[in-house]
Amino acid sequence: MTARFLPSRILPSQHRSVAAAVVALAALIAFPLVAPDDIYRQNVIFQTFLLAVGAISWNVVSGYTGYVSLGQSAFLGVGAYTVAILSLEWGVSPFLLSPLGGIAAALVALVVGFIVMRSRGHAFVIITIALLLLFQTIALNLGSLTGGSNGLTLPLPQWSADFQNFPFYYSMLGLVVLAQIMSMWIRRTKFGTGLVAIREDEAKAAAVGIHVVRYKVLSFMASAVVMGVAGGVYAYYLTFIDPRGMFDILVSVGIVLAVLIGGKGTLWGPVLGAFIVQPLNEATNVYAQGSQTRLVFFGGMLVLVVLFMPDGILPTVSRLLERRRRAHKSVLSIDQERIAQRKPALALSAERAAPNPQQPLLEVRDLTKHFSGLKAVDNCSLAVREGTVTGLIGPNGSGKTTIFNLVTGMMRADGGEIKFAGERIDELHPWERAHRGLSRTYQITRLFKQMSVLENVVAPLPEFRWSHLRAGGISGAEADKAKELLDFVGMAKFAQERADRLSFGQQKLVELAQALMLDPRLILLDEPAGGINPSLIESMADLIRDLKAQGVTFLVVEHNMPFVLGLCDPVTVLARGSKLAEGRPDEIRKDQAVLDAYLGEPEPVPQ
Amino acid sequence: MSPRSGSSWNRGPRSGAGGRSSVGATLVMAVALFAAACGGSDSGGGSGEPASDGPIRIGASLPLTGDFAQPGSAAGQGYEVWEEMINGDGGLLGRDVELVILDDASDQNTVVADYNRLISQERVDLLLGTFSSLLNLPASAVAERNRMVYVEPAGGAPEIFERGFKYLFFAQPATAPHQADIFVEYIESLPEDQRPQTAAYPTQDDPFTKPVIDTIQAKLEELGVETVYAKVYPPDTTNFDSIGNAISSAGPDLVAQGAVFEDGVGLIRSMQRADFNPQILFQTSAPGNSTQYSDAVGIENTEGIFYTVSWSPEADYPLNAEFVKAYDEKFGGVPPEDAADAFAAAQVLQTAVEEVGEIDQEAIADYLHENPVDTILGELTWDETGAPQAEFILAQWQDGAPEVVLPEEVLTSDKIVFPKPDWSG
Amino acid sequence: MEQLGQIIILGLLLGGVYALMASGLTLIFGVMHIINVAQGAFLVLAALITWELWKTTGIDPLVTMIVTAPLMFVGGYVVYKLLLERLRDSSPSMTVLLTFGLALVIEGGMGVVTRNVFRSVTPSYFNSSYNIGPFFLPKPQVYGCLAAVAVLGLLYFALTRTWMGRAIRASSQNLDAAQLVGVSATSVAALTFALGASTTGVGGSILSVLFAFFPASHYVWISRLLGIIVLGGMGSLPGAVVGALLLGIAETVTASYISLRWATVVFYLVIMVVLLVRPQGLFGTRLREDVT
Repeated sequence: MTARFLPSRILPSQHRSVAAAVVALAALIAFPLVAPDDIYRQNVIFQTFLLAVGAISWNVVSGYTGYVSLGQSAFLGVGAYTVAILSLEWGVSPFLLSPLGGIAAALVALVVGFIVMRSRGHAFVIITIALLLLFQTIALNLGSLTGGSNGLTLPLPQWSADFQNFPFYYSMLGLVVLAQIMSMWIRRTKFGTGLVAIREDEAKAAAVGIHVVRYKVLSFMASAVVMGVAGGVYAYYLTFIDPRGMFDILVSVGIVLAVLIGGKGTLWGPVLGAFIVQPLNEATNVYAQGSQTRLVFFGGMLVLVVLFMPDGILPTVSRLLERRRRAHKSVLSIDQERIAQRKPALALSAERAAPNPQQPLLEVRDLTKHFSGLKAVDNCSLAVREGTVTGLIGPNGSGKTTIFNLVTGMMRADGGEIKFAGERIDELHPWERAHRGLSRTYQITRLFKQMSVLENVVAPLPEFRWSHLRAGGISGAEADKAKELLDFVGMAKFAQERADRLSFGQQKLVELAQALMLDPRLILLDEPAGGINPSLIESMADLIRDLKAQGVTFLVVEHNMPFVLGLCDPVTVLARGSKLAEGRPDEIRKDQAVLDAYLGEPEPVPQ
Repeated sequence: MSPRSGSSWNRGPRSGAGGRSSVGATLVMAVALFAAACGGSDSGGGSGEPASDGPIRIGASLPLTGDFAQPGSAAGQGYEVWEEMINGDGGLLGRDVELVILDDASDQNTVVADYNRLISQERVDLLLGTFSSLLNLPASAVAERNRMVYVEPAGGAPEIFERGFKYLFFAQPATAPHQADIFVEYIESLPEDQRPQTAAYPTQDDPFTKPVIDTIQAKLEELGVETVYAKVYPPDTTNFDSIGNAISSAGPDLVAQGAVFEDGVGLIRSMQRADFNPQILFQTSAPGNSTQYSDAVGIENTEGIFYTVSWSPEADYPLNAEFVKAYDEKFGGVPPEDAADAFAAAQVLQTAVEEVGEIDQEAIADYLHENPVDTILGELTWDETGAPQAEFILAQWQDGAPEVVLPEEVLTSDKIVFPKPDWSG
Repeated sequence: MEQLGQIIILGLLLGGVYALMASGLTLIFGVMHIINVAQGAFLVLAALITWELWKTTGIDPLVTMIVTAPLMFVGGYVVYKLLLERLRDSSPSMTVLLTFGLALVIEGGMGVVTRNVFRSVTPSYFNSSYNIGPFFLPKPQVYGCLAAVAVLGLLYFALTRTWMGRAIRASSQNLDAAQLVGVSATSVAALTFALGASTTGVGGSILSVLFAFFPASHYVWISRLLGIIVLGGMGSLPGAVVGALLLGIAETVTASYISLRWATVVFYLVIMVVLLVRPQGLFGTRLREDVT
């Protein structure tokens, strides 16, 4: 039964994690029944649950998606205030209303997310700090609604004193379980893979068809919803809320600390971290007596963790174990004989418009791009006909990679237009271009380093459908298709390896499989033969020919002349940002202008 | 209290053959860790009655650190002086009193945890309150849920009394909205041609100070005093020049500020810089900080500043002189008002316990609802919500020292400085 | 009209003081791309040291800054070498977390060592003003502005006319190239951070006179400073000055005409709006990471 929530190819250790968690859960459930008078410890555990909810939720947006925020406590406050205000207004128990707190928090995350998730890195952290303080100020100033600095007081719970804190304890425990299930479910779906892809390399994720804006906002909402519900319960527990307590940056810091200690981006790290941080916090309070000492403790721990153990406990431990395991592992190598032997049931030609011979598949007209004064691309025009393997060559600095960036949407052009299958795409987002069948590989490979090879190939999305988000990440139809593609490129044995362990050539093959995952009509290959050993180069060419036979068009940038001239037809030559020549390979080989561009003008030989 | 010996710490290394269940092991360890960290004596089941021959343990949490550290520490001193005095006098119900004071660090979550701890872990017999309405609000809820009497020395915000609590009592003469009634009475007593015509009301956004100023404003407006400035500033305001400037250009006769401390000082400085001299200046709280206030503002500048206090060191109420002396011996100097309020809260509890004759929370609460109690603040009585019904004291700085000017029974100076002299220097 | 004039004057004076406080932060960001969230804590720490010196010796803060500035310089250098140097290759969010933790440690440390009470320094001029025509200019603010001008002028001079300054600017533009021409990356970074920290020595002295402070005051300052450098453009000294003046006026005008409560909101809104609409601020250089 638990297997439903776990990736199908799970290691025995993960089974044990869940088993251990179930044991701990049973202990926590039993505790109040065993020690009903121990209100103090129940209180501490309750606070730990709250921290755990915050940590698990935060991990979704900051661990999986990589957007580190210091504003997580804002959702607690939003939930608390929503529930408190409504409860006082309608006279209904806050318990019943707490789901509304979650909805309110999710709505806030939706609106705010669209606005703030356009920034990244430290800008995002700062914005979340500013947001938290802004919410606090709003709560302080909208006195008629929120009670301002007076705060809001909720009536005392009406149930019998024999039950004391039980309802709070168990509801918060329930929320922890709920949050953890949600987190594990997200991670196992394609949605989760997409989030991690965004974390690893957002631009690349966009280029492989992941609608990064929607994904980010969704993850933000996911991190808000359970927190909002917890806020409602918490408000009832305290019976008094005020802006400073509910929008407290130290709560956010505690959450961050818990997740960092446990392991950011892991499944169980946040829970583990919460169960370490809160008791320590309580211990500081008891033994060290003082808010100032607590600050030194929190701050000091944050500093130490960031400096010495930024990955947290779980990843560090698993790394140590891995090192032991790896010593006994045999070295894998590419199964070169198998490359291109198996014809994958690629859905390449599935529902595709028939190729229009009049109209080039890709057309670029008068394209221009400056980089502060340097014209990298200067009124360049070129075209790629469907069904060809078109070469794009030129000396260094002629603008080839820039053109790729412009075509795929990584950069905005300063002038000109780009048409794909007759449709102008220069205003489209990178993922929208990917959805239309445009994909690309990179000169220096950009795989999602911390994901496995299989996850890397599963990550691309040929189209955005809500049902896809729920699909299994590394099991199910998507994974099967990915495995086929990996087999096609000869990398099937590497499916479980982490992408950053691969050699350069191996990465290139995986990247090609990624590109194929998008059911592309056109693949832009950026130096596919560069930096790999010669025997692999021939296999690469075979792969390309095979795919061409199945209807994929290629635009290939290369410096390896034999490779280009043997594989591509036609060949376009760029120099200094614009097209210099175009034609069949043997024509280009002899073209004087081309030779001059590559080799330079001939010097008169001194007599 | 000694930490429980952490036997769970001595479990073997996490890695090893069971390395794969590292998560499991660490999870279980973490659970054990916090159980050990919580420390303290074992609670077990059963609610044992406190031993009738041991000391009576009274628990309180106070903000000894954090935003309210200063008044919180003063309150702690007040409790301690009371403890010493009562133990020197035969104790309570014939038993020694032992105070258990925790630090809530001016934080609401901590104060809730602290009172839970005092009740269930420390198993104290009686409770005393913490400092500040913000902290007393959640703390009193814990006490009420556990049906323990909660006498608090410093939490007069109206919300505290709107919840129908039976066990809550505020040990000061009046709640926040009524704190300045006596000042308004003084204004009313002035002959019409001398009364201020216009007034300004700058106040900090604080649940305690704001009701005080709101009442003053409402009552003075009824009296016909025109409001020319009324603004609320956030607690983290550091720059008062714009406020001082705005007040100066509005030119009011009377300025009544809802201050805590540093904002009171800040506003005075900004009025000095703007060269504005009101005829009457009233501030909450800040002027009650004796030398700290006069040092910060400049002693010549204190002349004529009004404020209300719950207590005066010279008042001739029972035990007041002894309290002042005992405080001076123990801590040196004149007691701050917060210490006196804390002492009074303890007095209230003591009286009720002595009159009831045993530690019965319900009976104590009933007694306090029905009977007045003599304290160093005067005689206190409460309504059914726990709100006290007496009056504050109007004080004014004169000749570099605070003096009581009203009510007449306890005044220390029979003159009232009006109008306020100009700022000097 | 006169009232508006007075408000603007107060705003400008306030802005001048803010510019002083923000100068260090913008320098650190400009060169090292580190947002030192602990800068506010440095300011409060410097103010505390100034207060202690004043309490024991009675020497005016404007004089003691000759001591506090070098002290903060050394402190900044140590902080960089011990903590920040290791994070040079980490993600920026991690550095923000680190400096935030540092700020908490400093705040807690101050509270533990000295009591957690409000303090301010009251030299003779703390409550007097210069009167020019119908306007009054509070003396502490005027001195603060003069100090700001001096410090910023010195910084500008150091950055443009000395070798070290050029090394700093070179490193901020292209670290690899700078290293190739003989600039030692680590010592430039440490020096820059130390220099940025030393400006808080001056800023803290002024702070101690102008505003009552206590250990947790750093939150107040860091939100203002972040708003200023975001508006001015992270890494641009002229930008910090312009941003500070603009925000000083905005804060004062909001406080006077709209409401005091919304005055601090101005800073948060500025941070959010600018980072979203024009991340490089008024004068800053655009960060390549925001390309998409």
